[in-house]
Amino acid sequence: MLKSQAAGKPAAKVTSDVPILQLSGISKQFVGRAALRDVSLSFEAGKVHCLLGENGAGKSTLCNIIFGIHQPDTGEMRFDGASFRPSEPADSLAAGIAMVHQHFSVIGAMTVVENLMLGRTYGRLQRHRAAEKVRALSEAYELPIEPFRLVEDLSVGERQRVEVIKCLMREPRVLLLDEPTAVLPPLEIEALLDVCRKVAARGRAVLLVTHKLAEISEIADLVTVLRAGQVVDSGSPADTDISRFVHSMIGRDIASLDQTLAASLGTKSEAADDESKAVNTRTKVNALMVDGVSYHDAAGVRRLDNVTIEIRGGEIVGIAGVEGNGQSELGAILSGLATPSSGRVFVGDTETTRANPKAITAAGAGIVPEDRHATACVMPMSVAENLFMNDLRRFSRLGLVRRGAMLREAEDLMLRYDVRASGPDAPMASLSGGNQQKAVLARELSLDPLVFLLAAQPTRGLDIGAVSAVYERIRAARDNGVGVLLISSELDELLSVADRVLVIFRGRIVGELPATQSSREAIGRLMAGHPSTEIAA
Amino acid sequence: MSIRVAARSLVFVPLTFMVPILVVAAALGIGVLLIAATGASVPTAISAFWTGAFGSSYAIGASLNRAVPFALVGLGFILAEKANLINVGGEGQIAVGGMMATAAALYGAANLPPILAITVPLLVGALAGALWGGIAGMLKVKRGTNEVISTLLLSFVALNLVYWSVQTTTLLRKPQTTAATQPESPVIPQSTWLPPLTSDPASPLHVGLVIALVAAASIGITLAHSTFGLRLRAIGLNPLAARRAGMSEKLPLLALALAGGLGGIAGAAMVQGDQHVLKIGFSSNYGFDGVVVGLLSRGSAVGVVIAALFFAFLRSGGITMEMLARVPSAVVWICQGLIVIALAGSAAWLDYRAKKGRGR
Repeated sequence: MLKSQAAGKPAAKVTSDVPILQLSGISKQFVGRAALRDVSLSFEAGKVHCLLGENGAGKSTLCNIIFGIHQPDTGEMRFDGASFRPSEPADSLAAGIAMVHQHFSVIGAMTVVENLMLGRTYGRLQRHRAAEKVRALSEAYELPIEPFRLVEDLSVGERQRVEVIKCLMREPRVLLLDEPTAVLPPLEIEALLDVCRKVAARGRAVLLVTHKLAEISEIADLVTVLRAGQVVDSGSPADTDISRFVHSMIGRDIASLDQTLAASLGTKSEAADDESKAVNTRTKVNALMVDGVSYHDAAGVRRLDNVTIEIRGGEIVGIAGVEGNGQSELGAILSGLATPSSGRVFVGDTETTRANPKAITAAGAGIVPEDRHATACVMPMSVAENLFMNDLRRFSRLGLVRRGAMLREAEDLMLRYDVRASGPDAPMASLSGGNQQKAVLARELSLDPLVFLLAAQPTRGLDIGAVSAVYERIRAARDNGVGVLLISSELDELLSVADRVLVIFRGRIVGELPATQSSREAIGRLMAGHPSTEIAA
Repeated sequence: MSIRVAARSLVFVPLTFMVPILVVAAALGIGVLLIAATGASVPTAISAFWTGAFGSSYAIGASLNRAVPFALVGLGFILAEKANLINVGGEGQIAVGGMMATAAALYGAANLPPILAITVPLLVGALAGALWGGIAGMLKVKRGTNEVISTLLLSFVALNLVYWSVQTTTLLRKPQTTAATQPESPVIPQSTWLPPLTSDPASPLHVGLVIALVAAASIGITLAHSTFGLRLRAIGLNPLAARRAGMSEKLPLLALALAGGLGGIAGAAMVQGDQHVLKIGFSSNYGFDGVVVGLLSRGSAVGVVIAALFFAFLRSGGITMEMLARVPSAVVWICQGLIVIALAGSAAWLDYRAKKGRGR
């Protein structure tokens, strides 16, 4: 259906008019809810096909159907013109379809080669022959990887390379990548997109699932937009205005979106900066003082090294860094789940260095932790219970819960924070990620007093509407005089939301820069561990 | 689609009642076959079972008394289970509870005013049980020790403490007058006995039943409607999030101490209720069966009461069957085990079916 080849794209692509894989009229329901409705798509050799859509639009379901994890209710797939009905991933793999999942499936305690040989060898392990193959592949696709390193010692980006090589070793005809860039730092995203290009250039079809528009304009030959399980738009980014895709994806105009959000989508021009930055709101009130904090983990490894952060009321300070450079440990210390080895922490004027979470909450710190599932919510419990988990005494009479009052107040709070659920009694797990996060924000921002807010990776995995709401809330808190620490691995997010940015590398704060587009390159280099002296070069 | 779902749920509702009844019937059927295989007369065995469980006001009273420790230990089990803790230490908690209640009754409490003479030993038993559960809780909170292991091992310690205390004259052993004097405590003073619940002199039924029912009601309400129950649930489902929300890290300690306290009351009620003497092995597996009661109740206090009654009548009938019909006790235990497996298996199967139905 989509045959137009983009003009001006890099040449040397093997193209053919017969699509490798063709989907027609695919529908899929889950418990009565339509996940996909009448979706038709085709994948051609030599092309990168981007699948764009918000969370819950059906992107992952579509990938899972192609990969044989789910079976469609109606519709059919044709592979090389023949009917194709995978009943399990093994069928798809055998046909020549490989998939890089959003979550890694590598084993940390094994080497790269051992991981790559898993399930693919019988009898004697020929590590060195496998290593040869890995080296050949990593050279051909410029995926530098050392075959005999332990996977647990690799960075996130390197682990993903292992996943990609694992797929490429099967020499697939079709390569599916489900939101592969969500976990990567900026430099690695570039590298991965480059790999996609090279894979396509060898006559394979690539399906890249994403919600980042910047990536699409950079790499896609074809774009298909899914919304609520239906194909709502498709075209080539070369001859389509990118904002049309945004409009199709979210069902409203890009102008209606938050400025900063537009920036994070990669659609805003670099000139339009700073108007949302509120330099004037910075007060003289101390919100957070982290004074020379170091932290050693249980194994004695130093995770934080003499970190000092000072945040005043009314400003948003961003922490930029590739994941695993001490951000999680910093978050744990600020939320009272870990105690620093040395140094001191103050929330407002209260010292909280060794305080437990309850005391930290009482001191006025709202915490939006990086892992919603692990530390922010009790998923099987109701929204109301989650909203008032830290303040149950309010609804206690003689030790019994005043459920009516709790539900009423929960409903009120849900309305104010636009938390959408079937009711305050609905289990937290039944909410979408965005609504869960809004509920967490509602809980943490209604603390009284509130002088400091930690927002760690607050928009991870959220769809655009929810991201917009989260930014609005964080900025509203800032405007009310709250000091905010925003930890994020999305550089765009930091540049558009924060007022200034600290860069963390291997547990040290290695630089502080204003959060403007002009700092982008310098921050990126610092994140990658290049000393600031090289920036000028 | 919706019609199919509706049709399935129509079949499903009676199924949840029918399946357990059918599997229990099947287990009992196997039991009858086993009784026949041992050469005993099946009609005699069944009538003996009936006599032992329901045959007289004595039988009914004794059965109801048996239900008391089952229910109390089962309640403790579901309370700890709410916080995602598996308390298998009921046996030891009964043992220390009974032992300390005996000590209190023998050393002073008997001379207190009437109500205190009864309640003080009960409370001492409860505290001893709470301490026993609390040790496991402390180990859990401070050191992360698995409570299944610690409560189980503490049970063996407790059972041997009872053994030691009734073997040692300076502790609880009654004065040795002849070489045949049993290693057991003297009879505790009558002022500390739990009063009977009926005026029927033949019935041994005592107020322990009321204590168990009140405990069931309060545990049921606590778990379902109190902030404490909500906290237990939160910490059981996601300890990190609960901690972040300012809930105390010591809640598991409190939960295990409360569970132990209930076991302690069970032990005290056994001694003060009908045994009146502390003997080696007086807890005779009530604590372990109480765990099974808690498991079968699936977290509901009402379920605990039902399962406790079921086990109590089963045990009463089984004992009489063993005595009158000469059915080996092993067969009775096999039957009980089969029933438990059948019930647990049918529950798992129904869950699986329900899940599969939803997944489609």
